[in-house]
Amino acid sequence: MIRFAFKRALRDIRNNFYLHMVCVVTISLAVFILSAFALFYINATELLDAWKQGARVIAYVDGDLSDARQGDIMAKIEAMNGVAGVDFVSREAAYESLKEDIGDQSAILEGLNENPLPDSFEIRLSETFINLDGIGRLAASIAAIEGIDDVEYAQKWLSRFAGVYNLFKITGLVLVAMFFFATLFIVANTIRLILYSRREEIEIMRIVGADEAFIKHPFYFEGLLLGFTGAGIGLGFLYLAYLATVPNFAPDILMSFFEIRFIPGMLLAGLVLCSMIIGWAGCHFSIKRFLKI
Amino acid sequence: MKSRPSAMTKSDGLPFLDDAAIRMFRVGKQFGEVSALKDISLAVHENDFVFVTGASGAGKSTLIRLLYLGETATEGYILVDGINLSRVTRRQVPWMRRKFGVIFQDFKLIPTRTVFENVALVLEVARLRPDEINERVCAVLERVGIADRAREYPPVLSGGEKQRVAVARAMVGEPKFILADEPTGSLDPDSAGRIFGLLEGAHQRGATIIIATHDNELIRAHSGPVIQLENGRMAMN
Repeated sequence: MIRFAFKRALRDIRNNFYLHMVCVVTISLAVFILSAFALFYINATELLDAWKQGARVIAYVDGDLSDARQGDIMAKIEAMNGVAGVDFVSREAAYESLKEDIGDQSAILEGLNENPLPDSFEIRLSETFINLDGIGRLAASIAAIEGIDDVEYAQKWLSRFAGVYNLFKITGLVLVAMFFFATLFIVANTIRLILYSRREEIEIMRIVGADEAFIKHPFYFEGLLLGFTGAGIGLGFLYLAYLATVPNFAPDILMSFFEIRFIPGMLLAGLVLCSMIIGWAGCHFSIKRFLKI
Repeated sequence: MKSRPSAMTKSDGLPFLDDAAIRMFRVGKQFGEVSALKDISLAVHENDFVFVTGASGAGKSTLIRLLYLGETATEGYILVDGINLSRVTRRQVPWMRRKFGVIFQDFKLIPTRTVFENVALVLEVARLRPDEINERVCAVLERVGIADRAREYPPVLSGGEKQRVAVARAMVGEPKFILADEPTGSLDPDSAGRIFGLLEGAHQRGATIIIATHDNELIRAHSGPVIQLENGRMAMN
């Protein structure tokens, strides 16, 4: 029975190739968009986690500092809520570190008459404190200390990114639901067109004594196959897009503490399964409405 | 083949004690305001070869459709093989239809299936094993003289060949009843004669044949009982 149904499903796909392709392309597009969203979401979450682990605040000093003044500022910072420790980085140490970081290109620094880098304090944050609002407030407090010229936290741009991330988090479920129903609707209507184009064949099957299961099962197989193929194509294109864009797109500063990776295997399997369920459900709704045996 | 569903009982309590294979008692069929059949009572016995005749619109096709449950009667009772069709549930309809081989004037072949596949469909729906399907389909195609076209698709066949495929499909399941609705209506006399010969062959092998036709020459050439319909009523039996 299953063999018959599967064979018939394959033959039906071959015989109604264009309509089935419309369905596959629709599913592929939906899977592509949803998995691109998933890809962003997964990496954004990991990026924020990685940032949290390496969070630092740098306070740059205005001009030269006496040892007493340096100790005074350090004490003020250490007393602030959320600070795990403070290290003083002299302008000489910063210059050496910079030379080391830029490596072969350090020759460009030789043209400078004097070291342009200021003294700074590198502030480590306690784990319980790490959140964007808290760091923002801490940075403002440090900036208010007399003798501090500017305050940077290396991943400052992440605050803007986190805003986008939070927006995605909220709208994510809405997007998923919208795409789910839109795809379901399109798949169901495509299958209805297929059923309509085959109404005479279905009528003949009924006349020769086909029962409900015999008529329906191939369509369910078709739905599952369409979902599977659509997901395969959608994810395949996403992977190609990932390979083509990520190495060129990701900034070095980001890649130094974070690696953009593709959707993990389990989630890929889940997406394929969801796509197959959509194919199956699309068939089910169409069959229920169209085949009133 | 599956056995009879348990919900069906012989005669179903109706007052018919004879052994008619098909019995209609005061059967009527309304389509909205239009009365297609009215007060039809008849009996067809096992291995009968019966003609249903009448002008276009007399109700011949409707009578055939009532038998294979393509329609349901709005009045009266129809017993097929002792089973009251008005009591057949939706789930039991496919089982009931497998008792019939049906032939249509417009052949009703699936154009995207080969000749072999069109005929095999009847056995596939009955869940027969592939080797048995293969054996029986080849045998019936041989019998109707179309084995050499088994891999062809219906659109490339002539009208006579298409109807032979339809006859093969009607016979392959070895049904108890073969219903033919104007089977020679769109064929030339030679092809019509050949189709009629095939139906006679099925009759000789034990099938009960009911042919709806307005071809009087065909009826005269055969000595079976004739049911004459006029405006949905029986004019002669």
